[in-house]
Amino acid sequence: MKITKPEELHQHPEYKEALVELLFQLADDDFILSYRGSEWLGLAPHIEEDIAFSSINQDTMGHAAMYYQLLEDIGIGKADDLAHQRPSSERRNAVLLEEVNGPGHYLHEPRYDWAFAVVRHYFYTQAKKVRIDSLKHSSYEPLAQVAVKINMELYYHLMHWRTWFIQLTNAQGEARERMKNAVAKVFEDFGGVLTLGAKGDRMVEFGLIESEETLKQRWVQAMKPIFEEVNLDLPSEFGMKRGNGRNGEHTADLDEAIMTLSEVYRLDPLTAW
Amino acid sequence: MPVVTSFRRLSEEEKYERFMQRIEAGEKIEADDWMPEDYRMTLIKLIAMHAISEIMGALPEKEWVPKAPSLRRKLGIMAKVQDEMGHGQLLLRVAEDLMAPLGKTREEIMQDLFKGDLKFHNVFHMPAPTWADAGLIGWLVDGAAIITQTNMLDASYGPYARALKRICAEEVFHAQHGESIILALAEGTKEQKEMLQDALNRWWEALLMFFGPASSETTGASKQDITIKYRIRTKTNEQLRQDFFTKYVPRILALGLKLPDETMHFDEKQGKWIYKQPDWNKFKEIIRNNGPKSKERLRLRELSYYHNAWVREALSGQSAAV
Amino acid sequence: MSDGAKGFYQVFEVFSRKNDTAPLQHQFSLLAPNHEIALVMAQENFMRREPVSDIWVVKRSDIRMMTEEEKTSLQRLDNKDYRTTKGYGYLKKKWRQYEQQMLDEKEIFSWKGEIRR
Repeated sequence: MKITKPEELHQHPEYKEALVELLFQLADDDFILSYRGSEWLGLAPHIEEDIAFSSINQDTMGHAAMYYQLLEDIGIGKADDLAHQRPSSERRNAVLLEEVNGPGHYLHEPRYDWAFAVVRHYFYTQAKKVRIDSLKHSSYEPLAQVAVKINMELYYHLMHWRTWFIQLTNAQGEARERMKNAVAKVFEDFGGVLTLGAKGDRMVEFGLIESEETLKQRWVQAMKPIFEEVNLDLPSEFGMKRGNGRNGEHTADLDEAIMTLSEVYRLDPLTAW
Repeated sequence: MPVVTSFRRLSEEEKYERFMQRIEAGEKIEADDWMPEDYRMTLIKLIAMHAISEIMGALPEKEWVPKAPSLRRKLGIMAKVQDEMGHGQLLLRVAEDLMAPLGKTREEIMQDLFKGDLKFHNVFHMPAPTWADAGLIGWLVDGAAIITQTNMLDASYGPYARALKRICAEEVFHAQHGESIILALAEGTKEQKEMLQDALNRWWEALLMFFGPASSETTGASKQDITIKYRIRTKTNEQLRQDFFTKYVPRILALGLKLPDETMHFDEKQGKWIYKQPDWNKFKEIIRNNGPKSKERLRLRELSYYHNAWVREALSGQSAAV
Repeated sequence: MSDGAKGFYQVFEVFSRKNDTAPLQHQFSLLAPNHEIALVMAQENFMRREPVSDIWVVKRSDIRMMTEEEKTSLQRLDNKDYRTTKGYGYLKKKWRQYEQQMLDEKEIFSWKGEIRR
């Protein structure tokens, strides 16, 4: 089955349901991580890197906007409302991506963890790449077209994070310890990034995306040589310590983030800003 | 360029004379060229302050990056604040090359900032408590910056002129980004209009101060004479302030906003804007890091610099070059 | 703070090409600890808004630059028209005598396409 236009979805309510679920996962993942990235602005360990990192965050938020637009085209709601209005229980992002950057607030005493930033972004970007490669063949053609576009920007994101990951992990002393701790921390919740949630089987059945297991194996294959290069063990199972965000389970970090990111929007959700 | 057989054999006076001839002929001085000591020191002070003001200037707007009210606004302000960091980067590089013969690097520039020896622009010590402030900074603070920076586009120091050319090109986007936010508010609800007027009231005095005192008699320190002598800029502080009024006052009024200065008017006879002087003592206090947000923003910059120092230390050896 | 981080601040010059046929152009310089990091930061620092098809990063310490004095060696007299087409402008008239057109720059560069009789 191929669906080429949003209008065709009326005849396939179950397909539509699985598609909407998938689009929310994709949109919410990119949105919340780029939000976390935007909190780093001005605080990165090096000014040149601050600028490079910000470009990646802008690209990523741009990707989220494309997915929200697909949802808008289906009639789910306006892209800006979907990004700003939904409570955490309706969000479908992985819990790992909503986690704060470190102790403190982005305006007061931020003790953000660059090791965590590098590992979270790198591992997520590789997972995103695997997912995007699969989505290029999605049965929902508007999504397949978006995937082709997003794919273009992922080469740079991957190269950038891989460089930082390898160099800092291969550095000796404190840096390596920090990187190892960050890897362990990210793996505790990385299962939440790789899962497609309770409706994953339906997504696969409708040819929207390949199975969770297939995608996970591709991620492991892609990361294997990197882990060898930095001399670390790659586990075969990943945790979901703080719940499955795909099913609406989230932490207080997400509630706080939503309050902040919608602060101005909520002053008057109906007006133009 | 006068033909020189052996430059090193020239006396200091001859070198100076040759230098002045070069800049008066419109030639550009490069980092490794001979330059008078006060030229170097003036440039270092000016450009390091400009650079660090860009970096510190990212902070008042930074507050509004995660909070911007739509996806498009979030992207726009992220790009805008990123550019501020980018301008800081360009200018830091220019300052660092000038400081290299003195054995100083970016590390020392940061130290000078934290110690309070290196000042940053008065406007970036001010609070930005609403979304309208974010718009107003883009519109009027960047507008003021365009006025001062275009004035130096033909600066005698080549690397600075080249950096400014890049910066001014991006400032055009910044101004439009700010205008876009401002216009949405000016055409919006009563609350949005009030938010905008409040922001203007809040920023007006700081905007007047932006161009610096009219003469050194006002505050006891002004670099404008030496920068004009060395062809780093052409106009005085007061000329720049007047230019700003000419370009922006009609626009402010056209949007239905009120100027928070009832005495403000254009005097046809004198051919200049008459306005109420800002409190220059307050200005002195502000740039001594005693402004409303000075300490908080310095703390933010200092904490982020030290908290992630391990990253720079980890990669500082050659062994890290994979 | 320790001097430990000083090695992080190495100067790299960044060059880029707009498209595959454009010459390499100097952009600006940046600080990075090594070539790899310099390369992943280069595009976003200096070419955020324009197309790029290639980037080079060069450590500044590997560049031999000219001193102010050496730059005077770049001057030359304007008496070398024998090196340029300017010195051969009379050929146009000559060829006309033989009822032929001169093969000037415009003509020669047009040959990359199909050559018509």
